[in-house]
Amino acid sequence: MSRIIRHIFLIVAFLFLAATGLISSRARAATFTAALDRDTISLGETATLSLNFEGGQPTKLPPPDVPGLQFGTPSRSFSQNIDLNSGQVNAKLTLSFPVVPQREGEFTIPALTADVNGQQLSTPPLKLTVLKADAPPAAAIDSGNEIAFMKLSLSDKKVYVGQMLTAQLQVCLRDDVQDFGNFQFTSQPADGFTINKMAQGQNQREQIGNRIYTVIPLTFALTAIKTGTLSLGPFTASATLVVPSANDQGGDPFFRQFFNQGERKQIPLATGTLTAQSVPLPAENVPANFNGAVGDYQLTATAGPTNLTVGDPVTVRVMISGRGDLGSVTLPDQTALRDFKIFAPTSKVKYSDQLGMEGDKTFEEIVTPQNSDVHEWPRFSFSFFNPDDGQYHTLTEHAVPLLVKAAAATPMPAIAANKNSAPENQTPQDILPIKENIGLLAQPSTPLVARPVFLAAQAVPVLAFLAALIWRKRTDNLANNPRLRRQRAVAQLIASGMDDLKKLAAENKSDEFFALLFRLLQEQLGERLDCPASAITENVIDEHAVLRDAPQPMREALHELFQLCNLARYAPVRGTSELNSVAAQFEKVIHELQEVKA
Amino acid sequence: MKTKVRSSERQFALTKRRMEPVHVVSYWILVLLALVFTGNVFAADVAGDFSTANKFYAQGKFADAANAYEKILASGTASPNLLFNYGNAEFKSGNLGKAITAFRRAELLAPRDSEIRTNLNFVRNQVQGATVRESRWQNWLGNLSLNERAVFAAITFWLTFLLLAAKQLRPARAAKLKSVTWIFAALTIFSGTILGVQAANHFSRQTAVVISAQETARSGPFEDAQNAFAVHDGAELSVLDRRDDWVQVADSSGKSGWLNKSQVEILPGA
Repeated sequence: MSRIIRHIFLIVAFLFLAATGLISSRARAATFTAALDRDTISLGETATLSLNFEGGQPTKLPPPDVPGLQFGTPSRSFSQNIDLNSGQVNAKLTLSFPVVPQREGEFTIPALTADVNGQQLSTPPLKLTVLKADAPPAAAIDSGNEIAFMKLSLSDKKVYVGQMLTAQLQVCLRDDVQDFGNFQFTSQPADGFTINKMAQGQNQREQIGNRIYTVIPLTFALTAIKTGTLSLGPFTASATLVVPSANDQGGDPFFRQFFNQGERKQIPLATGTLTAQSVPLPAENVPANFNGAVGDYQLTATAGPTNLTVGDPVTVRVMISGRGDLGSVTLPDQTALRDFKIFAPTSKVKYSDQLGMEGDKTFEEIVTPQNSDVHEWPRFSFSFFNPDDGQYHTLTEHAVPLLVKAAAATPMPAIAANKNSAPENQTPQDILPIKENIGLLAQPSTPLVARPVFLAAQAVPVLAFLAALIWRKRTDNLANNPRLRRQRAVAQLIASGMDDLKKLAAENKSDEFFALLFRLLQEQLGERLDCPASAITENVIDEHAVLRDAPQPMREALHELFQLCNLARYAPVRGTSELNSVAAQFEKVIHELQEVKA
Repeated sequence: MKTKVRSSERQFALTKRRMEPVHVVSYWILVLLALVFTGNVFAADVAGDFSTANKFYAQGKFADAANAYEKILASGTASPNLLFNYGNAEFKSGNLGKAITAFRRAELLAPRDSEIRTNLNFVRNQVQGATVRESRWQNWLGNLSLNERAVFAAITFWLTFLLLAAKQLRPARAAKLKSVTWIFAALTIFSGTILGVQAANHFSRQTAVVISAQETARSGPFEDAQNAFAVHDGAELSVLDRRDDWVQVADSSGKSGWLNKSQVEILPGA
């Protein structure tokens, strides 16, 4: 139990001290220092710039910027220790920047300013001296003291401008080097050369002086681009080697090779400077179509199809193969070929070696004969300068005979004749010929969907449907309402009866007139009073509730019309004008009667 | 006043006499004959010009032939065959962009003409650089022209509503018409949807065809703007925007830039 209490007490004490230490560390003033691990290095070596922050962390730190020095990505390390005596916690942050020099000289890393806990802290400027990396002297190499070195050699000392040559760099590692890595060129100066592709050869073992070295050969392809003295080097590089540790040299050598973990070292490497003389191409015997190709080449050219119509495309393929700067080889000027339209050629280079010095370049161009007088694709010539024999050479391919027919509208090639064979799926050699007939002419116009008339026309079927729907509803209503049906039938009967009345009045047919009048009165009153027409007599005018509430003049007029009908059976024949006035009176009464609410 | 009235009445009477039914018919026949005759004369002129252009082509004078076809087109007349021959002449003259434009216009008029498609594909194969091509869906849409699809959709629409109207007018046959009505209603919805998509494609997805030998698209709509990317004769590019005399285009790789209107020809979608 007492052990547990003691542990708890210790933990609480530790936490208390830590808390007070953190508080006190915050209270303490922060510091910012900068240091270089070395103040002098050789070109190719890497120095380390350490920025140390104590008592706080930077919130803003602009990266160093010194022309000629390259600062890599920093690594961070953070440490914290508690001083149990003072109870303080010391927190320290270190940022380590690898510094790679780009050239030799004296460099000053300026004062760096950082914002730490709101304080602007600065470091003093630092000096770094970068020495020229020289190739080790021959005596040092022969003595076997050099753990690693580089050698540079050129394949030719005299070159023509435009010629391709090779340079070989050998990286030599002494036999006790356990590991080799992080090889990086820091500079590859070349004055008058362009450095092209690089290839690594097979490692070899070689005795140099009194030691065995592993030789790593690296070959570069170069192109001389100017005349005069050209220089190459010094190439500088850095590499990391693992060599046996100097502190662990005792014991049996057999066991030492297994158990010695070795020491990792970064070393600078440098070569000497080589020169070559570049001479211009001879000015004599320059072929007319020479366009700067330097090397040793062969030529192949083909053209097809050879049986064609004016304007048909002919594919011309030119292959230039051999050794030289194939990338810069171009076709000779062909503007003199006026009988052909020549489209811009496409080219493809295929290298057969790793350095890009040998291979073939294929040009493909489409040409079209412009008239039927063309009988051949003219012979094709290509000239180059061969630096091996120092002479110009011209290669010529024979002319390709062409059978060019005048373009005609009538003949149809097989591809077009068979419409079912889906010509778009085939690969035609030329466009299909023109058509003889102009076909159906049309005026370019707005699409139908954008024309208001077309859009308005779409309302017609909708309106037709709506009309049919309304008609259907009305028909259904009529079928379900006998009173309405009778009202319409009576209205129709009255309308036709009025015409008959006028006709009978004009013909002075009194008996028929009044018989019809009586019947029409019965029909209209029967419809209004919703009772059979045959049951209608003059009495209903006073007896039926509907008519009792009707206007008095209308009722009197109805009485009068009934009485006239009765009198007509006994009274003498009346004249046309009197019948017409009765018809007019009937029309008026009928209109008033139709207004009466049934 | 009376004299005036009489004279006007006489005039009316005379007019009436002149416009008797027989005369009216004669008048309209004359008008129709005049229209047909002038139409024939016009058609004969166009056919003559077309034949002349064909002769130029046969003689290998492709530029002259292209000019002659272009002249006919400038008169406001077009036909798939005329545009087809014009495209051929422009291609033979080395103008890939103008040839593609002509073939694509011909394709809009005759979307299922395999010869037009063959020549269009042939010319497209000669074009260098990135270019925008129709998707499979757009190609399917292009099998019918916009007008053909509009007519098809209109026919199904009309038939659907006329069948609905017939059901109202002849309720006894409503049961028999029901299944047919449903089929046409479904067809109407389908063809209407496709028509909508094609119309949107036609009006909003425009293509700019480069008609100059080699041009540079610029990063802004002005001459001094930085170069964005190079375009070649015949390249088909999507139109993104327009501003004054400039068209913003994008190629198939998504690069966009501005070209002057004079460097391109704008075509509608399928």
